[in-house]
Amino acid sequence: MKALLILFFPFVAFAQESQIRFKLSFNDQEIEIGKTYLFENRDVNIDNLKFYISNLQIIFKNKIVFQDSLPARLVDIENKSSLSINLKEKIKFDKIVFNLGVDSLINVSGAYGGDLDPTKGMYWTWQSGYINFKLEGTDPLCKSRHQKFQYHLGGYAAPYNSLQQISLKLDKKSTRAEIRLPIDLFLKAVNPQNQSEIMSPGSRAVELSAILKQLFVVKSW
Amino acid sequence: MVKTIFIFCILAIFTMALSNTNYRFEKPAHFPEALYDFSKNPLKPEIIQLGKILFYDPILSKDSSISCASCHSPFNAFAHTDHDLSHGIRDQIGFRNAPALFNLAWQSTFMWDGAVNHLDMQALAPISSHKEMDEDISNICLKLSGSDKYLDLFDKAFGNNKISGESVLKALSQFQLTLVSAESKYDSVISNLTVFSAQEKKGYELFLEHCNSCHTEPLFSNFQFADNGLPIDTTLNDFGRMKVTQNKADSLKFKIPSLRNLQYSYPYMHDGRFKKLSEVLNHYVKGIENRPGLATELENRIPLSSTDKVDLIAFLLTLNDKNFVFNKEYGFPKFDK
Repeated sequence: MKALLILFFPFVAFAQESQIRFKLSFNDQEIEIGKTYLFENRDVNIDNLKFYISNLQIIFKNKIVFQDSLPARLVDIENKSSLSINLKEKIKFDKIVFNLGVDSLINVSGAYGGDLDPTKGMYWTWQSGYINFKLEGTDPLCKSRHQKFQYHLGGYAAPYNSLQQISLKLDKKSTRAEIRLPIDLFLKAVNPQNQSEIMSPGSRAVELSAILKQLFVVKSW
Repeated sequence: MVKTIFIFCILAIFTMALSNTNYRFEKPAHFPEALYDFSKNPLKPEIIQLGKILFYDPILSKDSSISCASCHSPFNAFAHTDHDLSHGIRDQIGFRNAPALFNLAWQSTFMWDGAVNHLDMQALAPISSHKEMDEDISNICLKLSGSDKYLDLFDKAFGNNKISGESVLKALSQFQLTLVSAESKYDSVISNLTVFSAQEKKGYELFLEHCNSCHTEPLFSNFQFADNGLPIDTTLNDFGRMKVTQNKADSLKFKIPSLRNLQYSYPYMHDGRFKKLSEVLNHYVKGIENRPGLATELENRIPLSSTDKVDLIAFLLTLNDKNFVFNKEYGFPKFDK
């Protein structure tokens, strides 16, 4: 009996904490790298999907009940632990606010470690600045080499600041929430056939980032 | 015997105190405040030493053939002479002349077009460029982590042997921040330790009249971007800062370089088109192409007689800092395995 208690205790404790998890989906299924997805009557693949969120705030009745102390977090489809944020305590909330991307102050303040370390593959090298959002994959209708699409969205300097503030209101108060980003809808809006590669700051990076902003949805669970 | 032990203890304490003391960045008295935020990367002798070893180690390039010093040689004030365009890995020719490295703590943008906004991040550009080092910062960390020598050096520098992109870049910054050039004859004159010759003085007056608004003393640059009217080299079609800002008004603008150490850091201009200072002056006297965007200071060109040019060059040569260029502290590191 005691052994059983010890075995279950961590799960019980875990369930008490508040949690935000990300569901990065394609046709409502959680995306898996290398898996094929049906998209407008053709098969597409996702090879890489990661993005920064920063200044995460959890809000209840218009009051901030949690302010993230980390300068930014990298949400990476290939790093499962990055897909959920576990808070140390149980907090009720009805709204989540965060920036999609890294703010301009961090972008001009030199080298950072952790999720912001340039080894994470999210820093441009030929020109300073973080890549806020990275999506790569293949679509047979892309005219690019190997039918690849590559969206590296970023840019912090005016007039091409691509940082987006995302504000997600829950339908009811909750201690746990799932933030969904349907990548199929993003591809539909972008149309890889017409623009398969955006890899530098500029007006198109800003436009695509604004599209992403509209696609985030939240659900309590 | 007791006396010997006592002296030994005092020495030991003194050495320990020294090794724990952070390196103090000495601002030359006649320089403005440095722009680099040292609080985010406090200088420490062990980190500076690590940065120096990295700077001179070709391990930073894909095939271990090119180090930072390949294009930034200490004897050339950390510039690259002999070539108009610097060359990198597999003898590939780049498309600009490697700039000299000194007084970097007073600069907030880097590269000829200002594409890099912080000294810490600058090294990523040459490391990743296919024509320069063709390497990747993650792979560098992997290579360094496989070396006992580096594990030990990172441990001494950062207190742990975890090698990260952040620590590699910060170490490289620290070494480069120590590259301060402030001991030229000009500096001695400013500090009232010596005086200019009559010719140098005449040259200094000409400098103040015609050059100082952009090549502002005592750093000899305001580190802004300007179009100095160089006819475009159609083999390169380099439009400079416009590529970074995507603003047409920045077409053909390049970062204004410091005039210190000119004797060591030839050739001149972003594409190294001029080998001699006299060619540079001739450009400003009669070579400027008048076009929209040209620096307003240069609209009427710079009127200099032959004597003026000689005098001005005499002054410019007082900006050479022999102590800096031949400072053994900055040279190839001695390393005991």
